[in-house]
Amino acid sequence: MTAIPNLIIETLPEFLLHAITLERESVERYEELGDSMEVHNNPQIAAVFRKLARYGELHANEIEQHATGLELPRIPPWDFKWTTPESPETGDMEQLHYLMTQGQALIFALHNETQGRDFYAHVAATSTNQEVRELAAEFAEEETDHMNWLNAWIRNLADPDSVSPEDLDPPNVTE
Amino acid sequence: MHGNTPITGLKPKDYKTGIKPVWCPGCGDFSVLSAVTKALAHLALPHQNVAMISGIGCSSRLPAYTSVYGFHGVHGRALALASGLKAARPDLTVLVAGGDGDGFSIGGNHFLHACRRNMDMTYIVMDNEVYGMTKGQASPTTAPDWTQSKLTPHGPGVPQFIPAAIALVSGATFIARGFTGNPNGLTKLLVEAIEHPGFSFVQALSPCPTYRPEHKAWKKQVRPVEEEATSDPIIAAQRIQTDDGMSTGVLYQTTVPVWQPEQGISADTGQLEEVFFV
Amino acid sequence: MTNHNTVLTCSTLSVAITGSGGSGVVTTGQMLLKAIANAGYYGLMARSAGPQIRGGESAVMLRLGSEPVDCLDDRFDVLMALDWLNVSRFAEEIPLTASSLIICDPDAGEMPEAIACHGARSLELPLKKLSGAIDGGRINMIALGVLAELLGLPETSILTVVETALAPKGREIVDASRLCISRGYSTEKNAGLEQTLTPVASPAKRWNISGNEASGLGAIRGGVRFVAAYPITPASEILEWLAPSLEKVGGSLLQAEDELASINMIIGGSFGGVPSLTATSGPGLSLMMEGLGLAVTSETPVVVTNVMRGGPSTGIPTKSEQSDLNIALYGFHGDAPHLVLGALNIRDCTFVTDWGVRLAEQFQTVAIILSDQSQGQARSVIDPPPMAPACKGRRTARPDTQEYRRYALTEDGISPMAIPGTSGGAYTADGLEHNEKGTPSSMSLDHQQQLDKRLGKLTGLDPTENWAESRGSGKIAIITWGSSSGAAFEAGRRLEAGGQSARVIAVRLLCPLPGTLMTASLEGVDRILVVEQNHGGQFFHYLRALNLLPDNAEMLARPGPLPIRPGEIMARVSEWS
Repeated sequence: MTAIPNLIIETLPEFLLHAITLERESVERYEELGDSMEVHNNPQIAAVFRKLARYGELHANEIEQHATGLELPRIPPWDFKWTTPESPETGDMEQLHYLMTQGQALIFALHNETQGRDFYAHVAATSTNQEVRELAAEFAEEETDHMNWLNAWIRNLADPDSVSPEDLDPPNVTE
Repeated sequence: MHGNTPITGLKPKDYKTGIKPVWCPGCGDFSVLSAVTKALAHLALPHQNVAMISGIGCSSRLPAYTSVYGFHGVHGRALALASGLKAARPDLTVLVAGGDGDGFSIGGNHFLHACRRNMDMTYIVMDNEVYGMTKGQASPTTAPDWTQSKLTPHGPGVPQFIPAAIALVSGATFIARGFTGNPNGLTKLLVEAIEHPGFSFVQALSPCPTYRPEHKAWKKQVRPVEEEATSDPIIAAQRIQTDDGMSTGVLYQTTVPVWQPEQGISADTGQLEEVFFV
Repeated sequence: MTNHNTVLTCSTLSVAITGSGGSGVVTTGQMLLKAIANAGYYGLMARSAGPQIRGGESAVMLRLGSEPVDCLDDRFDVLMALDWLNVSRFAEEIPLTASSLIICDPDAGEMPEAIACHGARSLELPLKKLSGAIDGGRINMIALGVLAELLGLPETSILTVVETALAPKGREIVDASRLCISRGYSTEKNAGLEQTLTPVASPAKRWNISGNEASGLGAIRGGVRFVAAYPITPASEILEWLAPSLEKVGGSLLQAEDELASINMIIGGSFGGVPSLTATSGPGLSLMMEGLGLAVTSETPVVVTNVMRGGPSTGIPTKSEQSDLNIALYGFHGDAPHLVLGALNIRDCTFVTDWGVRLAEQFQTVAIILSDQSQGQARSVIDPPPMAPACKGRRTARPDTQEYRRYALTEDGISPMAIPGTSGGAYTADGLEHNEKGTPSSMSLDHQQQLDKRLGKLTGLDPTENWAESRGSGKIAIITWGSSSGAAFEAGRRLEAGGQSARVIAVRLLCPLPGTLMTASLEGVDRILVVEQNHGGQFFHYLRALNLLPDNAEMLARPGPLPIRPGEIMARVSEWS
């Protein structure tokens, strides 16, 4: 993996801040998507996003334990060393649709986990700090597990490739 | 960079009310909400000292979703309401949010005069080139040949309003363009805009998944501005007029005196009345 | 000198001064008003002008009295014509009779037929020649001397006024003017007034104020510290007075880009916790209606002082009419309970605006204060106006209120308002219908509850004895509002003097109009005349809708621009006997 010079993470606190932010923003986004699907009467997909949020929450707590006793730096949102425009597990908003199917939602989530894995892998490959490299590799491994878990979920779906059904109603006039 | 960040326990989420947005999934406005709350958390602004003012439209729902003081007013008048608030309460950080229809069509006159007045506030326009709440009619920023609205079946047929250009000639002292596909970049612009003394205008390109699905292409079209922000209005005008409206970053920034009424007490009512005595 | 020995005394005298624009008509009127105020008299001065920005023709109409003067009389005792250029424009505004005295310059040409037709007495004076004989002399200063002498004012009093007023223009002008005044005093006059003002005791502390200044002062007394407004005739003088005055008391005025902005700006200011007001006239009020609905729904107190002019549309901007009652009462879309108050006279402009601001603040709603051009742009010598009744002020939320709900349903319908800066109070004010927390809602229950709340809170309004001004007694009642009150009260007085008693009720609190009090004040009345200056009888129909008028009630509703005069009301009432 090629190192992007100004995206190299050098210290453990910096790395942990990235990891925590990645997980927290992911949880927040899944919650937001859960809300949004509820508002738009797609309870099945809302439940999927809620479940993803719950798992994310657990993972975030785990990572936060690594940071116990450490003083984390404060970094403005735009100075995080992401390889993506936003933190890696917040997803591509444009892929969302209120009538999205379970398959689409899980593929959305899989994309997130893949980006998360890629981020950690990048750190594992490029950090100048041994401890960071090891921990990042460990986290990349975990993300891979998540990807496997999601892939299994997708495979078990009756119709994993289903697309959003046709919207039979016109948009509403609200204000 | 790290050292500049205020020490704060406030997180972006602390600036959200928890009210579930009515925006369509996929709407760029979610990213603006995210960017605004990140900016507020970054600046560690106390909730009670911030006011978020809006008019009517999808994007104008923003105040309800942010846990600062808010006013969801009537269509097109957000800047006016905000100007009154700022004049009366200069101690507050005043943010104004709205859409392209609200800000440039029905509220166009207020946009000109808010730029000109240069009061210290930040105006965020979520530009999706369409009216989302009234069934997708063309807005001032819609291309002349866009034929998807029943109201203008042959397309609006009139040139697009160029918000940054209008802001520039009207006297805005900070003009930036962001993209909701890059929320952290947008956050940075918002922080700079809020910190800018004077009227700061941020146009946030915000795709509408319902009426303008073709906006998915924006992701590939946007790019950072190539040059540093200029304080020369002639250079800024040339850049703004010659680009395709897809370059993001600070387009223009200058410092001129901020308009704010004098506030000090030198008389009481009784003294004012003295002039009337025969 | 004129011989005053055989002259009778009277309580008021009316003097009109006309001339081409630039001849100093207005200055003369203002100086005369000051001089009579110094001498202990009351007075009222209205103005009229052509449509030109400068030049053209100009008239001032003064009524001077030993008692407070709240309306113009049926006729003028004196017309001072500085020249005859275009004077016919004012003929209908300056009713003359055979006993009027017209002062004119024979060198100014022949008296126009529109003036001559009254057969009034005339006093010909060579105004132009007299002023021409003085270096830097001006016709209007000669005229001022003539008028002051005819009215029996001591020469020193008018000289003092001129001295003070013209001092900034330099010594030469002051001296020339003093000479003119003296020449006007001393010049031989072969006719005089048939009556002169009743002598008054030593002058009390009085004010010389315009209605628009009085409205501005009322705003500041009521606590207004933020004003946003767009210039409009005939309201701009309120803003001109307020701009420097607000600055002195720690407030500010923002000149808006239009009325859509000004109303929303004051909503913003008031949302910020600062009592806020705008001033406008009919066209501006029309533009503000959407914003006013927002203020009602979001329960943001704001006050609009509407100085009425001839309408609809651009109408007659420089002339008065009471034709904006309907828009003030009914201009809102939706059910929008709010307050409407009307100023009865120039002095009342202060009181009513003061009261309106206090009520708006207490009830967190809109107050529309109606004044009109005949008050706003006229000046009057008055006793200092009283303070408005104390109100409870705006109810605000304490910091860190648990479970704060901006639109909480309370017993009296008023909910504490969190002012930005209050910790734990952040909420979003909304023009969308909302629930108690302010969250937008289209649920029937929320709509019903919030409508009930906004209507119900006004039932707690104490109309006090100030809801109306009531004078006289008898079986005839004249009900009126706004600037027609002066003529109605005078008609009542004259009817009583003629042995036909009438009670006059001038309503200040127009909405919510306290029906029970109105009914009580009409007890024993068997004929009612509703007097107002508009074409459709807006107040009459409003009272009808409130079921406050018996079937035989009648209206005297006549549009502007001519003021309602006492004689008109008397003539109508005397048809009944």
